[in-house]
Amino acid sequence: MKTSHALAGGFAFAIALAATSPFAQVAKKINVTQPQLTAAGGQAANWLHTNGNYAQTRYYPGKAINTGNVGKLKVAFVFQTEVVESMETAPIVVNGVMYLTTSYNHVYAIDAVTGRQFWHYKHKMGPVTTFCCGPNNRGVAVYGGKVFMGTLDAKLVALDARTGALLWETQIADPEKGYSETMAPTVIDNKVLIGTNGGEYGVRGFVKAFGADDGKLLWTFYTIPENGHEGVWAENDATGRNMKRDIAAEKAALAKDSSFYQTLGGGVWMNPSVDLKSRTVWFVAGNPSPDLYGAERPGDNLYTNSLVAIDLDKGSYKCHSQYIAHDVWDLDAVSPPILVDVKNKSGKMVPGVIHGGKTGHVYVHDRKDCSLIRFSQAMIPQENMWVLPTAEGARMLPGANGGVEWSPMAYVAGSRLAIALNLHQPMTYHVEAAKYPGGSKLWLGGAFKAIASEKQWGRVAAVNIDTGKIAWKHDTAQPLIGGGLATAGGLFFFGEGNGSFNALDSKTGKKLWSFQCGAGANAMPVSYTTGKKQYIAMGCGGNTQLDFKRGNSVFVFALGG
Amino acid sequence: MRLNFSVAAIALFCATAGSAYAQDVDAGRRRAEACVACHGPGGNSTDPQYPILAAQTARYLYLQLKDFKEGRRAEPRMDPFLAGMTREDMFDLAAFFAAQRPRPGAFKADPARAARGKAKADEVLCTMCHLGGFIGQNEIPRVAGQHYAYVVKQMRDFKAGRRTNDAGNMASVSRTLTESDIEDLAHYLSGLY
Repeated sequence: MKTSHALAGGFAFAIALAATSPFAQVAKKINVTQPQLTAAGGQAANWLHTNGNYAQTRYYPGKAINTGNVGKLKVAFVFQTEVVESMETAPIVVNGVMYLTTSYNHVYAIDAVTGRQFWHYKHKMGPVTTFCCGPNNRGVAVYGGKVFMGTLDAKLVALDARTGALLWETQIADPEKGYSETMAPTVIDNKVLIGTNGGEYGVRGFVKAFGADDGKLLWTFYTIPENGHEGVWAENDATGRNMKRDIAAEKAALAKDSSFYQTLGGGVWMNPSVDLKSRTVWFVAGNPSPDLYGAERPGDNLYTNSLVAIDLDKGSYKCHSQYIAHDVWDLDAVSPPILVDVKNKSGKMVPGVIHGGKTGHVYVHDRKDCSLIRFSQAMIPQENMWVLPTAEGARMLPGANGGVEWSPMAYVAGSRLAIALNLHQPMTYHVEAAKYPGGSKLWLGGAFKAIASEKQWGRVAAVNIDTGKIAWKHDTAQPLIGGGLATAGGLFFFGEGNGSFNALDSKTGKKLWSFQCGAGANAMPVSYTTGKKQYIAMGCGGNTQLDFKRGNSVFVFALGG
Repeated sequence: MRLNFSVAAIALFCATAGSAYAQDVDAGRRRAEACVACHGPGGNSTDPQYPILAAQTARYLYLQLKDFKEGRRAEPRMDPFLAGMTREDMFDLAAFFAAQRPRPGAFKADPARAARGKAKADEVLCTMCHLGGFIGQNEIPRVAGQHYAYVVKQMRDFKAGRRTNDAGNMASVSRTLTESDIEDLAHYLSGLY
């Protein structure tokens, strides 16, 4: 007890110090231009987007670190933050300056070569926050001289990239109604795009665009339309399996009340992709609310559990493709979509978009109309789909975390492989009748529970997007959550909850290198090159959702250290 | 153990950060004088029929007070205290108790039962909502170090439908728990600091 108090006191003091002390500012001018953001995927100096580029391939074009020398990768520096809690950040690196975030919305600007801290921003959290799955943050966006971050109290803040000073903040939505932000924003054409959490609280999900100069709202696309959310009364999921819906009963319920669109969920947890040529924004929308109790929300619950395309300039609807209509398993769409050319059904290469699902499939779509071209082999075991949840619990695989959770995939263009991090967590699904509790309380309409007698594990799976076949897989002792990174050096980097941060051969899945971080390696790895030296950075702070050991550090690696 | 100390530090940090804004800890302290008889000084009750409120999340405390007042949670012993209580009073009280340090209760957990309780907690995925170390977050309560008897009573009440202000979540969670599971969980939770 004594130790606990002493540590807690020290922590509080450190926080107070951070909030009041003047910190060094970034010496050079930071100015990220739109052409730089647009061309981010073709250069190796900076890491400018959460997922590397607007297509979100998480493919780094540098190859100084490669299959031949990755064994010599050593720690260049470790940056310790003040927050020991779940870490999901993807650092953004601009001209040798790294911007990283922690749980509870701290932002640090540090020297990307030495780890020296320039500044530390701690968001002044409002009195009300409402969020599930941990006080996470998945990073910032940098544009012009500004750093943008979404916050747990559902604000968007803009900071001075050199000093960390708050330039403006705007309220995105009401945290008392269950809205919060953990995703990193995406900046495009002076607009800051951001979705929302809240599918576990009965929000009405959205993607919003704010002006980068002043935080003014430009447009809102609601993931739940006021009319038509009942959809086509789909009996089967996107793969053709029957979902055991009582559609007659649903239609009768809808005739009585269709006002629930305001609380139907459909959060957007991860960055959208942007197709600049067609000026289209692509994202996936999450589960309907409540998660497991469907009687409150008859219909397909559009556009929950869907890939959605909207117009970049107006935020208007273009097309969608739903994976699971009227979901009662929380097997929603979370992992960010990737824009790649794909082979269509007649073998022609067309602009496509792919998504790694909680179901364990990689879905391949035509960008022309969102239509599904194919889905991959299941990357993890599927059993008893789609048994309906019961009060006592019905076993079904995959468990409610997936498959592929929010974890962004990486795509290796040369080998046509999408590489995904999967979980295998056998669960029972439980339903419980529950009325909307007003937005301030978790509203699952049941529960999911792990099955103690069944082993949990993880799997890295590389899927050929033209055939849907698994090219290789690499199994891990624990379920996987976090990002993947593919490089032109033939490597795939990813972390595990036991602290192991690894490099695989991206062609074969063979493990080539590993480092023990000491806390869960569950953030999103990135790479950059400064002074002709390539670096790999990875946050190791553990994970709330899977209760992996917490830490507070970002590890940065280079050849020879 | 190390992890628990760290998360405790974070909890205190959050409580401190939260108190700087709309909620007034000093006003809450004055108002909490009426709570001492049951909930103990600083929210550290010694009678296990009254929950420990020290370090409880402010959001949970506020919502429970609101539920008591508006009839979603029944506890006649709370009624006299809630009669004239405003929303601001509730915020202040919540901020005060959230900022207090919890002290260990007198209950001696059985290590074997606590180990079974932890295994059950892992199976039921409690920490997805209650956070690592059961320190709670927002409207999800801290249950680390809570009185054994209080935890048992709440879980029995959720299971039996006597407490229903949980939006169905704890009803669903507790439905498959046996009496023995509930006791094991309470052994585990009461010993967490």
